[in-house]
Amino acid sequence: MTSLKRKRYSNALAISASILFVAFTGMQVASPRVTNPPVTSEFHGPQEVTSILKRACYDCHSNESNLRWYDKIAPFSYVVAADVEEARKRFNFSEWDSIPKDEQEGKLWYMVNMIDAGRMPLPAYTAAHPSAKVTPAELDVLKKYVTDLSKANHTAGDTARIQQKAGLQTSNAPAKAIPTSVNGIPYFDDYKNWKVISSTGRPDNGTTRLIYGNDIAVKALEENRINPWPNGATIVKVVWNSQHEDAAGNVMPGNFNNVQIMIKDDQKFKDTEGWGFARFNGLDLKPTGTTLSFATSCINCHQLASETGFVFDIPTKKHAVKH
Amino acid sequence: MTRNLVLFAFACLTMLGCNKSHNLSPAPETIFDEPGMHVVTSTFNQRTETISVLYGNDAALSHAGQARPEHVAGEEFKLVTWGLKPNPLWFGSDINGPLRSVETVKIVADAYGAARIDYGVENRNEETAKIAPTDSDERINFIFAQRASVFP
Ligand code: HEC
Ligand code: HEC
Repeated sequence: MTSLKRKRYSNALAISASILFVAFTGMQVASPRVTNPPVTSEFHGPQEVTSILKRACYDCHSNESNLRWYDKIAPFSYVVAADVEEARKRFNFSEWDSIPKDEQEGKLWYMVNMIDAGRMPLPAYTAAHPSAKVTPAELDVLKKYVTDLSKANHTAGDTARIQQKAGLQTSNAPAKAIPTSVNGIPYFDDYKNWKVISSTGRPDNGTTRLIYGNDIAVKALEENRINPWPNGATIVKVVWNSQHEDAAGNVMPGNFNNVQIMIKDDQKFKDTEGWGFARFNGLDLKPTGTTLSFATSCINCHQLASETGFVFDIPTKKHAVKH
Repeated sequence: MTRNLVLFAFACLTMLGCNKSHNLSPAPETIFDEPGMHVVTSTFNQRTETISVLYGNDAALSHAGQARPEHVAGEEFKLVTWGLKPNPLWFGSDINGPLRSVETVKIVADAYGAARIDYGVENRNEETAKIAPTDSDERINFIFAQRASVFP
């Protein structure tokens, strides 16, 4: 390098450094602030549970964010502020009752499973805040908490008389409109002739389910082509409320609860990993969701099954857990 | 302070962290397939750690669905039983594991026009011995007592 060149080089360096410095300071001035709105309806639980959640989750999922100094320096502050905003939108321990009562229990199970899968607290966050990590022993405390909570809520079982389908058998009943989800997926009966790919029970939330796959889905399982699943693969889950356990421990399906559908079409359902979601509730098959965005909440949770193409309930061989 | 900054920078680089990954591969051999058989109902049992689906042909289904209260010759039921295991992808859900047994109950008309009930069990693995009952009457009663699940 000639001396002239060297000079130019160091000039350039000085200029870029000052630009960076100005940008850095500018960023500090414009840096987003995480503010703490008032706590309106605090989440209540046993002390050993809330202390874990406060330490590990409240910085993002509550109005009691207590950010460290380095979280307040740009560019980190931009990331942190965005995370807090998104996290509060998903659920907020300080506005707990904004979650409908019958969904609060499900949300807690969701949390436990997000921690179990290593997705929460956000790994990038725990790397800088190791004290926010949830230990295996603490996870067990949370698992026991949700299990007991659900037991208390569901031990009654479904003692209600099982409702039969009314009126549909009569041939002169007026043809009803086919219930259709807001994204255009209609309810259909075909799955009753498909193969059952798995059968599941959730003793804790008191439901029994059967999962059906169409021929494309079954073939995909046979050929181990499920990541991604081929277009046209369709999976239907039928959910019943469980009856009381009998003397021998058998749990039978009681009232029909809902049908849920996943249809693979990577063009039509690009925004939700190529899966079209639909859910129909009760014997009158009332569709879930009034806007297209309902499916975002379906796929968000199904991300936990990304390993198996976003489908949880496939039969699997014995496996070894890797970390 | 520098330590924290270094940690933070490190954190930013390892955004993906260490998500748990399982080594899951499909087990299509556990899927039951027999043409002409429809789902009647299903059951799970945490004590015996089994999960079962009861299938039936048209005649069996119309009995279990209570369209026809009495049994008739020609009914055929198959009770398929798997082991029960926790779903590796979701704490709180139990899913069927390997296939254990298929029990068949058939009502056949004998030469004199009277009906006879046949019971048979096909074991699919050694575990089955534990649950396969020797008392076939008990199993027939159990299967006959099942009511069809309500579908929309
Ligand atoms: C650093 C901020 C941060 C912390 C700490 C944090 N989360 Fe989150 N959480 C997020 C963000 C951002 C999202 C949405 C994006 C995503 O899922 O990655 C989210 C999403 C979730 C969701 C999905 C909710 C939904 O309805 O979609 C659950 C459940 C969850 N977090 C549970 C927890 C639990 C439990 C803890 C504590 C153990 C925790 N989080 C700690 C930022 C955080
Ligand atoms: C909080 C998590 C969560 C949300 C939200 C969720 N699911 Fe699921 N879903 C699961 C789990 C866990 C299973 C498997 C366990 C079971 O049901 O036995 C499942 C199973 C299914 C199945 C059977 C195929 C499979 O993946 O196993 C379908 C179909 C399905 N869900 C549809 C939907 C639809 C439609 C929505 C939105 C309306 C939805 N899900 C929202 C957790 C969720």
